[in-house]
Amino acid sequence: MSNEVFKDASKMSGDRESDDAIIVIDSVYKRFKDFEALKNIHMQVGRKEVVVVIGPSGSGKSTLIRCINRLEVHDEGHIFVDGTALTTDIRNIQEIRRETGMVFQNFNLFPHLTVLTNVAMGPRRVRGLSKSAAEELAMELLTRVKIPEQADKFPAQLSGGQQQRVALARALAMTPKVMLFDEPTSALDPEMINEVLDAMKELAQEGMTMIVVTHEMGFAREVADRVIFMDNGEIVEVGTPTEIFDNPKEERTKKFLSQIL
Amino acid sequence: MITWMRRNLFRSVTDSLLTVVSATILGIVLVQVFQFVFINGRWEIIQVNLKILLVGRFPDELMYLVGFSILAICFSIASLAGGLERAPNSIQNLPAKLWGLFQRFGLIAATAALLIVLAADFDAVAFGGYVLMSIVAGTLFGRLRRTTALKKLPGWIWVLLNASLPMVLIFITIGQAALEEWGGFLINFYLAVVSITLSFPLGVLLALSRRSSLPLLRWLSTTYIELIRGAPLFVLLLLAGVALEFFIPSSIAPDAIFRAITVFTLFTAAYLAEVIRGGLQSIPKGQAEAGKALGLSTVKITFLITLPQALRNVIPAQIGQFISLFKDTTLAGVALSVFELLNVGSAITKQDDYLGQGLIYETLAFVALLFWVGSYVMSRESQRIEKKLGVGLR
Repeated sequence: MSNEVFKDASKMSGDRESDDAIIVIDSVYKRFKDFEALKNIHMQVGRKEVVVVIGPSGSGKSTLIRCINRLEVHDEGHIFVDGTALTTDIRNIQEIRRETGMVFQNFNLFPHLTVLTNVAMGPRRVRGLSKSAAEELAMELLTRVKIPEQADKFPAQLSGGQQQRVALARALAMTPKVMLFDEPTSALDPEMINEVLDAMKELAQEGMTMIVVTHEMGFAREVADRVIFMDNGEIVEVGTPTEIFDNPKEERTKKFLSQIL
Repeated sequence: MITWMRRNLFRSVTDSLLTVVSATILGIVLVQVFQFVFINGRWEIIQVNLKILLVGRFPDELMYLVGFSILAICFSIASLAGGLERAPNSIQNLPAKLWGLFQRFGLIAATAALLIVLAADFDAVAFGGYVLMSIVAGTLFGRLRRTTALKKLPGWIWVLLNASLPMVLIFITIGQAALEEWGGFLINFYLAVVSITLSFPLGVLLALSRRSSLPLLRWLSTTYIELIRGAPLFVLLLLAGVALEFFIPSSIAPDAIFRAITVFTLFTAAYLAEVIRGGLQSIPKGQAEAGKALGLSTVKITFLITLPQALRNVIPAQIGQFISLFKDTTLAGVALSVFELLNVGSAITKQDDYLGQGLIYETLAFVALLFWVGSYVMSRESQRIEKKLGVGLR
């Protein structure tokens, strides 16, 4: 049964082949009490694709990506990550979470652990690496996000930009196939936004599959393969950055862009 | 100095008035206390009865067991403290270090010195030396945890290891002497140490069950907590003394010490559970979400992420519970006819030599002193632990 749904969903999006899709979202609804946060969402993300989701606040962007690693439970429809269906089966959920990394708006680092232990947490406690192997890997990732010298500090001793890079390293330590970014720069002081965006750009260039919810239109224009505009729980318009930013078709997209640009 | 006084004590007419009045009251109280302690007080009642106040009629040939348990307690506490990560910014000069040591151990040392003087006994001096040695040994052993392969030991095994040594010794001691021979501060001390050690894990379990997603666990834990918190401790102790006989034949019923331990443990655990639950609720939702996003299981999220943060957030409230427990051990005296410190204290004023001489003030002052020292040390150490663990948080 799940196979049929998979095929069905793949027909709906135009340009991508189903074999390429790593994330398939099919007819997904999500309600909070009476409020419909997601309405009939169809979407696919291909391997190595960078998708940026934009839209006014309360439009359901965050809810959408939080459904992908089941921090929110969708009420109807189907979500597949790398062929695994998100069901109530806890083993499937764990498997999908292992393969998707997430970076949060508020970093959500573990304040009682050092930076190094934060990053080593996933490899050690989920993938079962030895302490020394996990810390070695963590150190590599901290070097990659350019803050190896902060390894023995606690999160609160770091700047916001550094904390978010630690959070990025922590997610990457699980060697995820997909990275989800939930407004990663919204809580940062303006002068720190770029250091995080640069790290994300580098990641995109290395071929990571990414779904990014953000208000950074410059980043979307430069890095995104596709931009999705959401409003009111619906996907209003999908297109390349040029299509969306320079030549939006829908009235709502135009209105939103005129407000923020 | 004069400027300081003018600024802080005599700023306005009301200020000056308040300063004069409170200084007078303070002066009168101090003079009274001084007179009582150094002039009028008849402290020979304490000196003569020192042994009975401290350990009751505990048989001399078994005293070595008491000694070993106390040394083990000192060793374990020192070892746990020594094993804590040192704050990276704690490099201090020698005077600051000495001042820190004085702040931590000054009061204990003074009390020990007082007891040794009162005892006027070489054995007491020697025992003081052993205690010092066990503290040093414990600290050094604890440091091994930070520097050697002991690092690899999971935290809970390390704590369990340290806690079990004194527990085993205490239970051996309790089993060796007959109840009638037990007495004095030793009972309060043992009751407190054992009940604190046992109530902590129970409290954690209750707090976790109360937040569990399994309805049965949640319901059981809630019922338990609300029942225990709804009953006065004294009533529970009385019940343990009387009601147990209904269910268990008195020949095999555990003696009063074990009943007291059971009641204190169950009682404190219920309060502790609520304190810890409060701590768990203070942890932002994002912490568990970050754990989930990594793929950690619920159990690992609890024990690696939320619980450690929750426990540290409520250290003051937890220690508060332990201090209450320590002082409440005096209730066991009346409720279970255990010959603990307060009971002994009032009994010695009825000895032939002292009967009707109103020496209850001297004994109560001594009893209060011992409890105050214990409570104050706990409170100070809790602040220290809080600071030490709070690195980077504040």
